Amino acid sequence: MEFNPTIVAFLCNWCSYTGADLAGTSRMKYKPNVRVIRVMCSGRVDPTFVYKSFREGADGVLICGCHPGDCHYQEGNYKCLRRFKLMKKYITQMGIEPARLHLEWISASEGKQFAELIDSMTARIKELGPSKIKTVVETLAI
Amino acid sequence: MRSMEEARIGVYVCWCGNNIAKMVDVELVTELIGKLPHVVVSKNYKYMCSDPGQELIAEDILEHNLNRVVVAACSPRIHELTFRKVLEKSGLNPYLFEMANIREQDSWVHDNREAATRKAVELVAGAISRVQYHEPLDKRSVGINPATLVIGGGVAGMSAALEVANAGREVYLLEKTEQLGGMVSHFDLTFPYLYDADKMLEVMIRRTINHPHIKVFYNTTISEVHGYIGNFETTIQSDSNQEQTLTFGNIIVATGLRPFDASRVGQYGYGRLPNVITSVEFEDLLRTGQVRTKEGNIPQNIAIIHCVGSRNTEFHEYCSRTCCQVALKFANQLRSLLPDSNIYDLYADMRAFGKGCEELYTATSKKEIIFMMFDQQHELPQIIKSVAPGDPPMLIFFREKISGLGLEIPADMIILMVGMEAHPDVKDIAHAVGISICSNAFFIEKHPKLDPVATTTSGVYIVGNCQGPKGIPDSVAQAKAAAARVLATINQGSVHVEVTTAEVNETLCCGCQTCIMVCPYTAIHYDREKKVSVVNEVLCKGCGTCGSTCPTGAIRSKHFTDQQILSQIDGLMKMALKIE
Amino acid sequence: MKEETSQKPKLKLAVYWGAACGGCCVSVLDVHEKLLDVIAAADLVFWPIALDIKYKDVEAMPDKYIDVTLFNGAVRNSENEHIAKLLRQKSKVLVAYGSCAHMGGIPGLANFTTKEAIFKRVYEESESTVNPDKIFPQTHFDVDEGTLELPTFYNDVRSLNQVVDVDYYLPGCPPQSERLLEVFTLIATGAPLPPAGSVVGASEKTQCDECKRTKTENKKVKRFYRPIDIKDDGVTCFLEQGVICMGPSTRAGCGVRCIVGNAPCRGCYGPSEAASDPGAKMLSAIATMIDSNNEKEIEKVVETIDDPAGTFYRFSLPSSIIRRTIV
Repeated sequence: MEFNPTIVAFLCNWCSYTGADLAGTSRMKYKPNVRVIRVMCSGRVDPTFVYKSFREGADGVLICGCHPGDCHYQEGNYKCLRRFKLMKKYITQMGIEPARLHLEWISASEGKQFAELIDSMTARIKELGPSKIKTVVETLAI
Repeated sequence: MRSMEEARIGVYVCWCGNNIAKMVDVELVTELIGKLPHVVVSKNYKYMCSDPGQELIAEDILEHNLNRVVVAACSPRIHELTFRKVLEKSGLNPYLFEMANIREQDSWVHDNREAATRKAVELVAGAISRVQYHEPLDKRSVGINPATLVIGGGVAGMSAALEVANAGREVYLLEKTEQLGGMVSHFDLTFPYLYDADKMLEVMIRRTINHPHIKVFYNTTISEVHGYIGNFETTIQSDSNQEQTLTFGNIIVATGLRPFDASRVGQYGYGRLPNVITSVEFEDLLRTGQVRTKEGNIPQNIAIIHCVGSRNTEFHEYCSRTCCQVALKFANQLRSLLPDSNIYDLYADMRAFGKGCEELYTATSKKEIIFMMFDQQHELPQIIKSVAPGDPPMLIFFREKISGLGLEIPADMIILMVGMEAHPDVKDIAHAVGISICSNAFFIEKHPKLDPVATTTSGVYIVGNCQGPKGIPDSVAQAKAAAARVLATINQGSVHVEVTTAEVNETLCCGCQTCIMVCPYTAIHYDREKKVSVVNEVLCKGCGTCGSTCPTGAIRSKHFTDQQILSQIDGLMKMALKIE
Repeated sequence: MKEETSQKPKLKLAVYWGAACGGCCVSVLDVHEKLLDVIAAADLVFWPIALDIKYKDVEAMPDKYIDVTLFNGAVRNSENEHIAKLLRQKSKVLVAYGSCAHMGGIPGLANFTTKEAIFKRVYEESESTVNPDKIFPQTHFDVDEGTLELPTFYNDVRSLNQVVDVDYYLPGCPPQSERLLEVFTLIATGAPLPPAGSVVGASEKTQCDECKRTKTENKKVKRFYRPIDIKDDGVTCFLEQGVICMGPSTRAGCGVRCIVGNAPCRGCYGPSEAASDPGAKMLSAIATMIDSNNEKEIEKVVETIDDPAGTFYRFSLPSSIIRRTIV
């Protein structure tokens, strides 16, 4: 059977979630692999959310926020960027392919970019294949 | 973990006519979701947002004693409030609700019905899992000090001040110079109807300074404002060097813009060539009633150059929106004053938009004005002082864009239509009142279309040019809009403040203070006695950045708690695997 | 059996070590002369490091025979697991004692690698190993006298609660003996116990609450340092000097011992009750402190944190959300 990845995406309410909505109102088509979780700001994305998504079987995790300088809450997206960089280093150490975690800035007007992003990320994760995290963790001690 | 009543969830899947039902098998979603724990009822309906749809939820809440509701429909940005109200009317706290977006982010963006249905099931499962951990949140409000602070005594500032004061409310008007009037006090006539600017201004200034409810502070700037909507406070250093503390409930910022410094465009020779003057200086000249060169001669050849400092990435990328109309006004006034002169108008694009302005352009073009176009991006005109005896004093070389011809124009006087730019102290003002500036150094509105005079800081409004270049009518309209907003909050006596704020669990907070520096609204402070961080929930906007910064987990972002989001992940991922 | 009326029956106490260094057992002895009080209130029915009681003796005990078992050490092999399950069955109260039982501890860092890699290193590659025949441990080996058995070495290290239900957690590497006495006194006097699953013998708050160093909101870091890289002034918050200190996300209870000794906290007391992952909160806080909004600059600062996983999960890798390296 063809591998159909599951991608959990954390979208900030003001830019990226609105951008994703715009892709919808514009009837753009993209791959059905993403599951969006809305947060008020990308600065709210706690690394715990990312790890939990991987742990529960997500093949990829996407974080989207407002473009630099455009954050509805002034600088939450920069806080997100800092955490993203350190998280990447951590998950790489844990043997998780860094490409499984992706950060992108999507503005409220970038419905097209959002649609393209989901397609390209889905393709990248397909190439990587299924994430082994859930299986490895659940077969502990064997 | 908080003690929780047993969740009784009602789930409602919307068809949205065919919008959702065409691509998502709503019957199957309803059936699968109905089997999840805590789901008491699971239904679908053609239009959940319609009155009968809302009724359906309200009836079920009573009949099945529901304490949580999930609606799978359009984006929560569209109907979250609608459904929250249904809960409220039915006696449930509106926050015990969650929406799954199966239209904008599902049925409309996919063309595979099976995949879209499956995605819908997972999204709804996530919402169900999340809503179990929702907590009732109470609306909160703060009282409003009825006084208003207006910063800037130009047309925008005075308009706002008068509008508020005419409603019988106190206004403190801060002006950094020694007189009111702002940039308009330099103008001779206004466009497009060529009314006398002075007359308009004089009436406005007289009304302002004589108004019993307006107190004007001259030579006064703002340094720092403390507090939050309804309860601001600042200390000003007034004229007589005396300190005075003002308290007020709202702030209207009307600090305007200043003319672009034309000497930055080297090839125009401003500052070197005495008869190259700016549009602002030309207004002053017009006010004397006589247009003469620096040497006192009547100019025979007069050129007007547009877009000085504007629409050019080297200076300012934006358009200043008024210069083209002012240039047309100049051409008209010049033609009247000097009927025999040659008037050249060098424009980059003629942007005579707005009521009465295209008409002004048409009328002007019939007055023997020579309009020529140049390339603002690649080839700015070059002004040189001529040396040959008998030649006109200055020559303008440029390539005419439409014909492609290189032209040479004689000039006794050249008027540079300077654009507008931010004052050098704009950052200080932004910092003082807690608002942001964009890359062009204009203040940023809360929403560019739907909330253009408010800012992301409650109780702080931006009007006139400080929000972006504009003419007098737009500035006045914004000023009065802001005044209406301010008066509305004053009349209410109190305003609702953000409910989904951060909250510190004082039992867990260790006082490391890491959260304080990340708050963009200075809403968190350290309580030295208790040795914990404290959130001022009036200042907090609920971004949640502190919640994901707190190293102990002592800070909870209400309605976006770790537990709620982790449960959502859990719910949708478990369902994803089940379907596989 | 003669009924005692005047005196409360003595508690039956057990102490066991799984994958442990022995420090936890020593910490029990570190109550010094107070051990006499302990012995006055309790009979030690099982303690491999100190008493000669065999596993079969424990197996012979009735269920719930032991009042309190202090289980220290992680679960590394089949023997640890067997005894963990046995003691769970025989004990009224099972306490995960010390960082290893609590969260996996230092032995839990083995989850960065695999059983195969460990065996290869230990039985083949290590500088002191002479094993030309490549003989590796086997769980069963037949000799003339019968079959010799060794426990199975697992691929993963687990914390105690990943194997059996745990009533209480008494954290620390090792736990402070004072905290042990407090908890023991609580149990011995029959005082009401906290709800099952609680961390005991540690504060609800984290280290900063007790730390005497000066701390401000000014936690902006241009680069991170290892303690040896800077001249610590002994006064300023380690984080404000750019040294990663796990204090803000680590429960107090140890008496801020490392920090008092001018070493940053390493996190042995584990996270507060509000953390769903033992290292994520601190990783997030540390990243937030990076004093730049420029992507390249941020990357440079991140480079100065050599080993995020080992730093933020030094004592807790097996109990973290992503428990081990994915291979």
